[in-house]
Amino acid sequence: MPAIRSLGSAARGAKKPPAGFEDIRDDLEVFGIKMKDAQNAPTNNVPKHQAQWPVFQVAHQRSRYVYELYYDKEAISRPLYEWLLKNGYADAMLIAKWKKQGYEKLCCLRCIQTKETNFQSTCICRVPKAQLKDEQDVQCVSCGCRGCASSD
Amino acid sequence: MLKSTYKPSSALPPPLPPGWSEHKAPTGHTYYYNDSTKESTYHRPGAQVPPTSQPPQPSNPHASFSQYSSVPKLSDPAAANAFLAQYDPARQRPAQSFGQHGRGGYRGPGDGRDRPRPQPVDKPKSKVPIPGCEPWILVYTKYGRRFAYNPAKNASYWRMPEKIMQGVLELDINGIKDKASGAQADGKEKPGTTGPEAKDAAEVEEAEEQVELGSDYEEVEVTDDEDEEHEGGEAEGDDQHPSKRQRTEDPAEAMAAEFNEDDIADQLRAMGEDYGLDPGEYDDGNPDAWPEGAEGLPFSDADARELFKDLLNDYGTNPYSPWEKLIEEGRVFDDARYTVLSTMKARKDVWEEWSRERIHILKEQRAKEEKKDPRIPYMALLQQKASPKLYWPEFKRKYRKEGPMRDTSLNDRDREKWYREYINRLKQPQDALKKDLMALLREMPARALNNKVLLESLPSQMLADVRYISLDPKTRDPLVEAYIQTLGPPPEEAEAEEDEASRKAREDRRKREKALEERERSVAEEKRRQRRQLEHGKAALREEERELERAMQVGKKGLQSQLMAAQEKSGEVLVTSP
Ligand SMILES: [Zn+2]
Ligand SMILES: [Zn+2]
Repeated sequence: MPAIRSLGSAARGAKKPPAGFEDIRDDLEVFGIKMKDAQNAPTNNVPKHQAQWPVFQVAHQRSRYVYELYYDKEAISRPLYEWLLKNGYADAMLIAKWKKQGYEKLCCLRCIQTKETNFQSTCICRVPKAQLKDEQDVQCVSCGCRGCASSD
Repeated sequence: MLKSTYKPSSALPPPLPPGWSEHKAPTGHTYYYNDSTKESTYHRPGAQVPPTSQPPQPSNPHASFSQYSSVPKLSDPAAANAFLAQYDPARQRPAQSFGQHGRGGYRGPGDGRDRPRPQPVDKPKSKVPIPGCEPWILVYTKYGRRFAYNPAKNASYWRMPEKIMQGVLELDINGIKDKASGAQADGKEKPGTTGPEAKDAAEVEEAEEQVELGSDYEEVEVTDDEDEEHEGGEAEGDDQHPSKRQRTEDPAEAMAAEFNEDDIADQLRAMGEDYGLDPGEYDDGNPDAWPEGAEGLPFSDADARELFKDLLNDYGTNPYSPWEKLIEEGRVFDDARYTVLSTMKARKDVWEEWSRERIHILKEQRAKEEKKDPRIPYMALLQQKASPKLYWPEFKRKYRKEGPMRDTSLNDRDREKWYREYINRLKQPQDALKKDLMALLREMPARALNNKVLLESLPSQMLADVRYISLDPKTRDPLVEAYIQTLGPPPEEAEAEEDEASRKAREDRRKREKALEERERSVAEEKRRQRRQLEHGKAALREEERELERAMQVGKKGLQSQLMAAQEKSGEVLVTSP
C-alpha cells in the first residue's frame, strides 16, 4: 500500500488542489480522522496479524470513495482525481485492479499476492462464495476481508 | 434478523414452595395453584421475581439472565417459542436460510457477522411504525414477541429504548382502548357472559397490558444484521446469545386472583395477543393473504423513491459524500420519508441515483455560474469582517477557516490586493463612495439590471465589485432600489419555461406527500380491521371451549345420575333379598 494519508493536505509544498476539491474536502477530512484513529488504535489485545486491518479498511473505503466519484458518478474532474492519487488520498494500484474484470471488489493488493500467503495461492477471500463449502465464514488474514470475489 | 436470546436450561426447576401444586390447563399449559391462598398463576412460584411495579432497570442483562435462566416460563416469549415449536416442528426453518451475509469489500459498522449462526425459529410477522419515532418500528414476531427496530441503524432492541418509549406507550394505550371496546362487543355477542364479567375482562387485560409495558423495556440489542432479511421475512431465527433478560412478569401473577377455566381462556387470549399472533394464524390458516404491516399496502415505488429523494434534498445532504456518512450521521432517520423504502439496499440504491442526479445538476449549475465571480463571497466577507484596524496577515489568519478564504479558485495575492483596495475605500468620504456606486449601476447592461431585478438577485458583476461593498447596506440599498425603479423592463427572454418546470416539480411533490399521508392512514385502518377480526376469531374460540366444557359437565351429570340409579337398584336388590 502506498503512502497513506491521514489528516488533510499535510504534505508540505503540495500544489493547491484543482477546482472541485471543496466539494469533497470535508469528507476527505473525515476519512483522514478515521485513518489517524485506525493508525493510533491500541493494538495490545489484538492478534498481531489483525493490527493493521482497520488501516486497510479505511484505505479501502477512501480509495473506493475517490474511485466512485471519478468513475461511477463522474463527480470530480480528471485533474482533481489525479491530484488525489498523487497526494495519497486513494491507492492508484488498487483502483487499477478494480477496473479489471474479476477484481471489481478486491479488498487489498496483498490478497492477490501469492508469495506472501501461506498456501502459495491467492487469499481465501478471493474464492467466490459459491465455491466455498456451505456457509463457511471466512475472514482473510491479510486485511480481515470476508470475501471480495466479483460474483459475491 | 431476529435472534432469540433464549437459552434452554438443563437445570431442573426448583421445588415448589409449600401450598403450591402444579396443574395442566386444558390447553396443555402448565399452571400453578396455591390451595391456601386460592392463587393461580402460569408462572412457576419460587423463582425470584422483582415486584411488578419495579421500573425497568438498565441492569446487566447477563447477570439478570443467569438469575432467571433456571426457570423457563411461558410468560417469556422465548420459552413460549420453544413450547410452541415442540408442537409444530414445521415451524423450524432450515439453518441455510440464514446465509444472507453478503460478502465483498468492507462494510460499514454494525455488520454483525461475528455473531454465532442463529438457530431459526422465529421471524418477524408484522410491524407497526412507532408514532412520533420514525423510523423506529415495532416488530411483532411470528411467535409473538416484539422488539423495537431501527431500520436506519439496523438495530433491534427487546427492551424499548428510552427515546421511543413514549411512542410505544401510545401504541399500547391505543391497543388497550381497542381491546377494551372489543371485549365489550364480545360481551354483547355472547349470551353466557354477563356485563360485569366482560368489564372485568377488559380491566384484567388493561392491567396485564400495563404489566407487559413494564416488562417489555429491556435494553438488549437483538441484532444489527442486514435488513434485507427483514424484507423477505425469509431468514429469521434464534441463536444462543445469552444476553436477553427474560421477561419477568406473568400477567397471571399480576392478577393474583383465583381463576377458572374461562379466565384461563382469557389469559391465553391475552397471551396470544401479547405474542402478537396474527389473525392469519388464528383463523383462516392462510397467512399469505394477510398484509404484512405497511408493506402489504400498495404504494407506488416511484413515489417512495421520490419521497426519499425529497428527504435527501431537504436535509441538505452533500451528494459527494459517501453513503456511510448519511447513515453514521443519522439525521434523516427520524423523518417519515426515511421508512417509505423498507430496506437499506433500496435506500442506498435511491441515494446512489439521487447523488448522481444532484452532482449532474450541480455541475450544470456551476457551468452556468462559471462566469459568476468567485469574488462575490469574498467581497461579502470583506464587507462583514475587514477593518482598517487589521493588517492583511492578521485578517488572513483570523478568518482562515472561512469558505472564501479557502476557495481554491482565488489566490492569496488577489485576496490581499482586494483587501487593501477595500480598506483604502473605507477611508474615503461617503459622497465619493456614493458616486462610485452610481457609476457602477450605470455600467450594468439592461439584461443584467432592469426594473424586474430584486435587491436579492442583483447581477454578479455588481456583487463582485469592490464599489458595491464599500457602502453600508443601509445607505446603499435604498440607492440601488431607487435606481432600479428608474429602469425599463428586461429585454424579452424565454424564462417562462423554467417556471413551468419548477411548478410541475412542486405539484408532483405535493402529490407524493399526499400519497404518503394516505398510506399511513390506511395502514392504521388496516391494523384496526385486523384487530377486530382477531377479536372475533378469539370470541369464536372461547365460545367453542365453553361448549366443550358444557358438554363435559353434562356428561359428568349423566354419569352421576346413572350411578345413582345403579345404587338405588342395588339397594332394592338388598332389600328384597332374604
Ligand atoms: Zn479480500
Ligand atoms: Zn485483502
